Amino acid sequence: MTALDLSTEPGDASRARLAALADVLIPGGSGLPSAGDADVAGQWINRALTANPDLASAVAHALASPGAPEEALRDLRLRQRDVFERFAFAVAGAYFMNPAVRAALGYPGIAPRRLPAAEGEAEYYLEDEILAPVVDRGHIYRRVPA
Amino acid sequence: MPGLPGGLLRGGLPLREGREAAGKWVGVGSTNDHADVLIVGAGTSAGVAARHLAEAGFKVVCLEQGAWVDPGNLPGNKPEYELAGSKNWHPDPNVRGRREDYPVDHSESDLPVWMYNGVGGSSVLYGGIWARALPSDFRVRTLDGVADDWPLTYEELLPYYQAVEREMAVSGLAGNPAYPPGFEPPQPAAPIHRTGRTMAEGMNRLGWHWWPGTNAIPTVNRGKEGQCVRYGICRMGCPEGAKSSTDVTHLPDAVTLGAKVITRARVARVTLDERGRANGAVYLRDGREHFQSASVVIMAAGGIGSPRLLLMSASGRFPAGLANSSGLVGKRLMLHPYAASVGIYEDDLENWLGPAGEHIGSMQFYESDPSRGFVRGAKWSLLPIAGPLEAAEKWTDPRSLSGEEFWGQGSAARMKSFVRMLQWHVVPEDLPEETNFVSLHPSLTDSDGLPAAKVHYRVSDNTRQIVDFNLARTLEAHEAAGAKKAWVAGRNFMTGHNTGTAKMGDDPATSVVDRFGRTHDVPNLYIIDASVFTTSTAVNPTATICALAKRTASYIASNAREQEVAA
Repeated sequence: MTALDLSTEPGDASRARLAALADVLIPGGSGLPSAGDADVAGQWINRALTANPDLASAVAHALASPGAPEEALRDLRLRQRDVFERFAFAVAGAYFMNPAVRAALGYPGIAPRRLPAAEGEAEYYLEDEILAPVVDRGHIYRRVPA
Repeated sequence: MPGLPGGLLRGGLPLREGREAAGKWVGVGSTNDHADVLIVGAGTSAGVAARHLAEAGFKVVCLEQGAWVDPGNLPGNKPEYELAGSKNWHPDPNVRGRREDYPVDHSESDLPVWMYNGVGGSSVLYGGIWARALPSDFRVRTLDGVADDWPLTYEELLPYYQAVEREMAVSGLAGNPAYPPGFEPPQPAAPIHRTGRTMAEGMNRLGWHWWPGTNAIPTVNRGKEGQCVRYGICRMGCPEGAKSSTDVTHLPDAVTLGAKVITRARVARVTLDERGRANGAVYLRDGREHFQSASVVIMAAGGIGSPRLLLMSASGRFPAGLANSSGLVGKRLMLHPYAASVGIYEDDLENWLGPAGEHIGSMQFYESDPSRGFVRGAKWSLLPIAGPLEAAEKWTDPRSLSGEEFWGQGSAARMKSFVRMLQWHVVPEDLPEETNFVSLHPSLTDSDGLPAAKVHYRVSDNTRQIVDFNLARTLEAHEAAGAKKAWVAGRNFMTGHNTGTAKMGDDPATSVVDRFGRTHDVPNLYIIDASVFTTSTAVNPTATICALAKRTASYIASNAREQEVAA
C-alpha cells in the first residue's frame, strides 16, 4: 500500500469514492449534512491530512478496499479495526472542520475563540447558596497522627 | 511548622549569601562557562528551581533537548486544532515523533506514557489542574499499612505549596473542606459554568463533596501571563499564554536573571569526579558532543527521563546506574491510569468553555474506607470537552461502553448531543510496585543514538478496584444530575503523571533521594521531578512537583556553604 500523496491532486474518482465511504459513516440528518455534502472529500480531507499526515495511510487503505461502500467498510472494520478507526477519525476530523457543521453542532466560530469571563460570572453560577451543603458538612480530609 | 528558608524570600539574606558561598565552589575546569548549578531539563520542576536559584544569585545552566514553544504555532485557536492535537501536539512522544522526542517502548505496559520534551516540559500540555496532596498522602504506611510514608509532612511542604501557588497564578475558591484550613488560591476562581452547576446540583442531591475547580490558570491578567479567555484547549498548550506553564511563568524570568537555557541539547550522561561528586554532564547538540561543567547537578528530566539518564550514566563506581546503590532507580513507576464517564443531558451545557482545567472537582471518595475492599481512593475532575472530535471519541474509543454504534444511521443525532455532554475524569491513586519500572531499551534509540526508554507497567488489582468503584459512583452522579444516558467512556487512559522512579526516603537502602531531593549516593546530585514521589497520591502531581522543586532549590540556596561540590 502506498501512502496518499497530497502533493498531487487526487482524481475525481478517488474523491467520489471517499465521499461514498464517508457517507456510510456520516449520512447526515437532524439538520446536519452528510459527509459528502459537507465536502469532506474535497478541501476538508486535504486540511485534515495536512494537520495529521499519519492518517493518510488509513485513508489510502480505505480507498483501496474493494466492494460497495458499506461492504468495504464493514470488511475493513472486521479485519483491520485500527485502520478503520483511523479512517473514521480522519473523516470525522474533516467533517467537523466544516464551519457549517461546527455551527450546526452548537460550537461558536470556526475554532475556539476568545470568550473571557464576564464580571460576576463566577459568582452567578454559585448563587442560591449551592455550596452551602458542602461547607456545612465540614472538613472531610483524614486527620493524620502528629 | 518550620519557618520559610530565607532563600524563598526575594532579596532576603541568603540570596547574595548563597551566591557568595557558591563563588567558593571549585568546579572541574572552571571557566566562564562553568555553572554553579546545572539543571538537566527545562521543564516544570526545572523552571521553578532555575528561577529560584537565579534569583538567589547562582549561575544556572539548563540543558534542554527540545526548544522554546512559539505560541503562534500552538493549534488551539485554529480550525485544525483537534487534528493537530492528535499529531504534532499529542502528549505521547511516540505519536509526535519529533527529533527531540526520545522513543518510549510501551509494548510491555498497559498504557503508554505522556510527556512533552521542550522548554516548559509537560506543563506546556497539562490541563493546569492544581491540586495539593492531602495530609494523608504523606502517611500511607501509617494510615493504611501499604507502600511507604513520605519523609516529610503536608505541613512541611505547605509553605512551598503557598509560594509556588503565587508563582503559578493559581485560581480557585478558598475554604475547600477537603483540605486543612489555609488553602487560599491567590486568584479568584473561574466560573464553574453550566457544566459545573448542573453536576453540582446532582452532587448536592447525593450529599457528596464538590468544589469549584482549582487550576494554574490565571483569572486575572497580571502582565506576563494573560487572563484565561476560555478557549477550552489547555491540553494543547495555550495560545494566549494564559496557562501557567514554566516556559511562561518562570524560565523567562530566570533567563533575565542570568540563567542560560541551552536548547536542542540532549544530555547523554552525568559525569563524576574522582571522589564520586557530580561535576557536569556530557550532551549532544548539532551532532557534536559537548561538556557542561557544574558544581551541583539537578536532574529534572521527568519520571521517565531522569531514571533513563541515571541508568545511562552507569560507571565503574555505579555500575547499575548513577545514584542507584538501592537498585530503585527506575523502579516503582506509578502512572495514575485514569478513567472517564460521560453523560448526555437535556440542555446545551456549553461544555467547550475553558478552562480545561477542571470546572469542578470532587474528593468525596479520596480517602481510604476499608468497607470498600481496597485502600486509597481517587479524585474526580469535571472537565470541558475541547471539541467534536473529542466528544465523538466518547463513543468510538474501543474502551467505551456506550452500547451504541456511533457511525451510520443515527450518527447525526448523536453528534447533536455533543454540547450536552458532561465528563468526569477519575484519577486513582496508584501504589508503588517494583515490578512496574523504566529500563533502557536494548536496541531502540533516540535521534542521537542514545537508548530509548522502555516502560514495564501493569495496572494493579487495587488500582483497578479504585477505578471500578469510582466509575460506578460517577454514573450515579450523572443520574442524580439529570443525565438521560451515561456510560463509562474508557479506562487506562494515560495521564502524564509519571511518578516514583527515584523514591524519596530517609533510608539509603530503600530510597534514591533524601527528604530534600539529594541523592543518597552523590552529595551534589539532586532530583526534583516527579521521580521522587514516595507514593503517587491521587491528585494531579504538578502542585507537588513544583513545591518539592521549590523546597530543594531553597535548600540548595540556604545550605550552599555546607554543600559538597566536585573537586
